[in-house]
Amino acid sequence: MSESSSTVVSRPAGRRSAPAEGGARIELVALTKRYPGQSEPAVDDVSMDIAAGELVMLLGPSGCGKTTTMKMINRLIEPTSGHVLINGEDVLRLDPAELRRRIGYVIQQIGLFPHLTIAENIGLVPRLLGWKAVTIAARVDELLELVGLDPSAYRGRYPRQLSGGQQQRVGVARALAADPPVMLMDEPFGATDPITREHLQTEFHKLQRELRKTIVFVTHDFDEALRLGDRIAVLRERSVIAQFDTPERILSAPADEYVAGFVGSAAAIRRSGLTTVDDALRHIALAPPGDDSGGLSVSGEDTVRDAIDAMLRNGRDRIHVTDRDGAVLGSLDFTRICELWARAGQPGGRDVG
Amino acid sequence: MSADTLGTSSAARPGRRWSRGQLARHLVTPAALAVVLLALYLWVSGQELDSIEARVLDAGAIGDATLRHLKLTAIASLLIVAIAMPLGILLTRPRARWITPVALAAANMGQAAPALGVLVIMAMLFSIGQTVAIAALVVTAILPVLRNTIIGIQQVDRSLVEAAFGMGLTPGQVLRKIELPLAVPVMLAGLRTTIVLSVGVATVATFVNAGGLGDIIVAGIKTTRTPILLTGAVLTTVVAFALDWLAGVLEHSVRPRGL
Repeated sequence: MSESSSTVVSRPAGRRSAPAEGGARIELVALTKRYPGQSEPAVDDVSMDIAAGELVMLLGPSGCGKTTTMKMINRLIEPTSGHVLINGEDVLRLDPAELRRRIGYVIQQIGLFPHLTIAENIGLVPRLLGWKAVTIAARVDELLELVGLDPSAYRGRYPRQLSGGQQQRVGVARALAADPPVMLMDEPFGATDPITREHLQTEFHKLQRELRKTIVFVTHDFDEALRLGDRIAVLRERSVIAQFDTPERILSAPADEYVAGFVGSAAAIRRSGLTTVDDALRHIALAPPGDDSGGLSVSGEDTVRDAIDAMLRNGRDRIHVTDRDGAVLGSLDFTRICELWARAGQPGGRDVG
Repeated sequence: MSADTLGTSSAARPGRRWSRGQLARHLVTPAALAVVLLALYLWVSGQELDSIEARVLDAGAIGDATLRHLKLTAIASLLIVAIAMPLGILLTRPRARWITPVALAAANMGQAAPALGVLVIMAMLFSIGQTVAIAALVVTAILPVLRNTIIGIQQVDRSLVEAAFGMGLTPGQVLRKIELPLAVPVMLAGLRTTIVLSVGVATVATFVNAGGLGDIIVAGIKTTRTPILLTGAVLTTVVAFALDWLAGVLEHSVRPRGL
């Protein structure tokens, strides 16, 4: 298993309990959207409480109303009834344009303005907010570096001179420009190829761990939801919440058939991909190192899935677990992994610890 | 991770607006027009001109007629820009969208109606002279600017407009910073068509005593003098091509970079 993908699935323990200074709390209260001439509402009485610094995935099939729900947060769509509160403030009482300048917005089509340079694209909202040119220029460079693009090479370019993946990084940088506490992301990585998408997800995940914005992220990709989400809201038609829970809980205890349908058949394997070896060690003890591991080893940040994968690929039934310096701590075998599943019922240190 | 693991952007850095090839292409038209004018001059000079021909083909008279023609075209075009661009922008605003088909139908009729007919009717209704000629020109040549302003704004990618609103731009800012700059190439293409159309239509201004190169052409027809007729026709064509060229250069110069 490649290094980058193990980074994707490993989660630092206790990530949810960390203070979230970067974000703001979002509450949806009985949010409803009815379009004239339609008998059924597009979004029907949705309530949701999103903690500051939390990344919530809205997951559902196309047409289920997840995008409509998201767009009511920044009032690109006006709710028919109900409320959206950001840090307790009712967004319906704010000026829409002012509200949106405080909410980062990333869409699948990216939407970089082709007649503006990368720097002008990123600096647009700060300029509307009346920042000084020097401050804006510094912020642009800082953000380009943050998303892994060399400022001196990219700030003066035009969007069409960038690849799709680079454009999407700029899209994320632009949304972060005025350091908004809240970000809305509508399938931001949906239009990129699978390899680029995984890279972008990995980086975005790292970035979010630093920034701790409150993010509402719309997707129809279950794996993406598992990778990135602190919690996932699985939505049915009319945006009705089928289950709103952590990835582990959704995998281990899907609320009903509908949610189970998203989880599919490989739930246990997917769960093992959300659990790091360090997490596992809080529930089970390692076997003695033994001498028949054939040189295989995983470290604490790798996932249990990495361990299983390495064992299966090499036809071994045990694998060494090493610490940061590479010293062997003990070994993990299939018996121990089964024990882990049986014992925890809900593995993944986040819920238990 | 560094950007080059992902990006394969091979596109060059933004180049100069005028590459050598483009510059050369833009110089072809004026050169060709100069050749045509020179040929006309040499041919007319080689003719034995009778008194009628000599009187009409006087340098001062030709210059006056050409200037008059340019003036008619310029005033009409400016009026068209002043009327049709704001109107076109207005017609793309959500609240006014329902009138758009009506306005376009009216402008279509203006272009479809024979210019001479429009001119004569207006002259009968009002009076003769330059004002009526210009009004008729505006009616006949307004469609391209109006239509291209509307289309130019409508063709702006909706996701860009959505992104702009989502970032917190007000409707006015979306129009000024996003929609109009991106519509400029299409709008200017309309202006170019309008100008060329006006140069042609302005030849009928002579029938309401408003002057222009139409005077020379009509004089040539009435007196069956080929040198006169040819001079008037060639000059009109050269003016049309020259203005088209100028508008093309303008179009190229103000096209937003990055497109």
